[in-house]
Amino acid sequence: MRLLLTNHLRNALDSLRSNRLRTGLTVLGVTIGIASIIVVLSLGAGATRLITNQLVQAGGAIAVVRTGSAAHDTQINNLTATIAGSQATSSLTEQDVDSLGSIKNVSAVAPLMLIGGTVSSDHATPDNAIIVATTPALTDVASLPIDQGQFIDSVTNQDTAVVGQQLAIDLFGTDQAIGRNFHTHGVTFTVIGILDALDSPVNYNNVDFDHAAIISLESGKAFNQGVASIQQIDIRAKNDHDLAAVVKQADKILATNHKNEKDYTVLSGNDLARPANELFYTVAATLAIVAAISLLVGGIGIMNIMLVGVSERTREIGIRKSLGASNAHITWQFLIESLVMSLAGGFFGYILGYLVAFAIARTFLTFDPAFTWLIAGCSFGVSLLVGLVFGLYPALRAARKDPIEALRQYH
Amino acid sequence: MDADATTPVIALHSLTKRYGIGDAEQTVLDGLDLTIDKGEFIAIMGPSGCGKTTLLNILGLLDRADDGDYLLDGRNVETMSSARRAKIRSQQIGFVFQNFNLVPRMNVIENVALPLTYQGKRRTKRLKEASKMLGTFHLSEREYYMPWQLSGGQTQRVAIARALVNNPSIVLADEPTGNLDSRSSHVIMEELSDIHKRGNTIIMVTHNPDLTSYASRVIHMIDGRIDSDTKTPRPKKATGAPKKRLDEKRKTKKTRAKKGKAD
Repeated sequence: MRLLLTNHLRNALDSLRSNRLRTGLTVLGVTIGIASIIVVLSLGAGATRLITNQLVQAGGAIAVVRTGSAAHDTQINNLTATIAGSQATSSLTEQDVDSLGSIKNVSAVAPLMLIGGTVSSDHATPDNAIIVATTPALTDVASLPIDQGQFIDSVTNQDTAVVGQQLAIDLFGTDQAIGRNFHTHGVTFTVIGILDALDSPVNYNNVDFDHAAIISLESGKAFNQGVASIQQIDIRAKNDHDLAAVVKQADKILATNHKNEKDYTVLSGNDLARPANELFYTVAATLAIVAAISLLVGGIGIMNIMLVGVSERTREIGIRKSLGASNAHITWQFLIESLVMSLAGGFFGYILGYLVAFAIARTFLTFDPAFTWLIAGCSFGVSLLVGLVFGLYPALRAARKDPIEALRQYH
Repeated sequence: MDADATTPVIALHSLTKRYGIGDAEQTVLDGLDLTIDKGEFIAIMGPSGCGKTTLLNILGLLDRADDGDYLLDGRNVETMSSARRAKIRSQQIGFVFQNFNLVPRMNVIENVALPLTYQGKRRTKRLKEASKMLGTFHLSEREYYMPWQLSGGQTQRVAIARALVNNPSIVLADEPTGNLDSRSSHVIMEELSDIHKRGNTIIMVTHNPDLTSYASRVIHMIDGRIDSDTKTPRPKKATGAPKKRLDEKRKTKKTRAKKGKAD
């Protein structure tokens, strides 16, 4: 069989070479199909890697407490709950923040309170601004580099705020915005600090800090009838290896605080990235399925051209059978021909897909597409599948030809 | 091959083949009995539609009979799976066709080596054996020609070389000279009677009564039955004397071809 395989391969290459244009166009069909899948998957994986990288930068010492119980939520609920976190009912309190802060080996604890409403300056009202009320400890927990000015701290005035770079530009038309004022909920805030551009719209805080106005928790409470509605508490352990103990301790303390009602979740490590990762995978997989339609077209192209080839070479099939080729030999001969085309399409599609993905990423996006074995394997596997599925019928049709009828063709 | 000398190469018992169904049914082979021994050179004659080609196709395992037994080397091949039959085709049967049937996109040596592919031989070995076989037909200089670059006679000699390359126990020829002029026809018949002398069994279908003189046994068929079965005591031209003349002819042909190439 091995000997015949090399023989079939040589044979397939010969016959494909004798119809260069036809072969090229067919391969192009598969190439485009595979390329579109690669674009979607590689960009999806790039986005996912972004989140994971951020966690790596955080040093693995971060744990996050979120409202709601992950154990009882379905996957989809989880996805929407974390992304639209501001809509979830808050069950975390300031008391929780205080007691979590007292755990041994915890270096900092920061609550995040997301507040609805618009932010406006005298000139503009950007519609995608986010208001985050928190404590000064946030800058210790999450690494939020300050571009200008300072972060809110215990001695700064309540009516001061730190804004993300993009928000500053949206509000004031410039990132040189220290000392300027914006309004929200009828209160005027003065900008005392501008964050560095982060370019990471997705992170474990579920907050795009580029578009965020960070105010003190006291001001946030004032907008909410004096109650802190905390969606998330970030905890930073002193060391990476303390994290497990901290998470355990946090779970225990919260259980006491919440009277054993599991209306919170303590997440750490990969669990932090999982909801967002899953979201991106879901989105990428959906898009990939849409992209697969073009691959289907490519596959149909293979089938079409193989059927043409089979009927063109009916006589040859008859000759080969009369010389001792079995049905299996003929099947393999044509199947390998379609596999050669689809795998060539897969190879070129992989390259083209990454070229396009890089072009898109460098032009419109802030991250690069990711190279993973999964994607490479996927393009190989999918193109193999396409060659098999769309090559099998023509090959079987070729094998089933009656040698006598076949020899009688084109007399 | 594996059978002993007394077993006939081919034994047919009341072989029947019908085409069509119902009113349109037509019996092409009507209870044919035939025994062919090793080393015979059989010419099958008969009018069109008498079932010669059908018989040849069944003998070559390209077709199956509807009734009756076909024993090839003592084995009943009618009931075998198509894969087994393909294997027997590749090992024991050589085909020569009227229209040569070389694969047009392969060159001469690849065409001759093709049957060896299905025996699972390695490429180098295949080409070596094919080259050797082409050598015995004085076609060594044509190895890398494409089929369309050859004359009719040369093409048929390539086809015969291909039929013999797997060292078959029977060679089936369906009007091997049907597409050739009379001179090339005789060249081809000389080749066939030559390989017959080397001990091969040859079964040939022909329309041309002249060619039966090469055969050791002539079978006339009418309406799917054997009408007459005559054994020629001594095949007329299988003497060797004309062979020499033929070789000379070939030489002049070759030089002519060379000249043509030089132009």
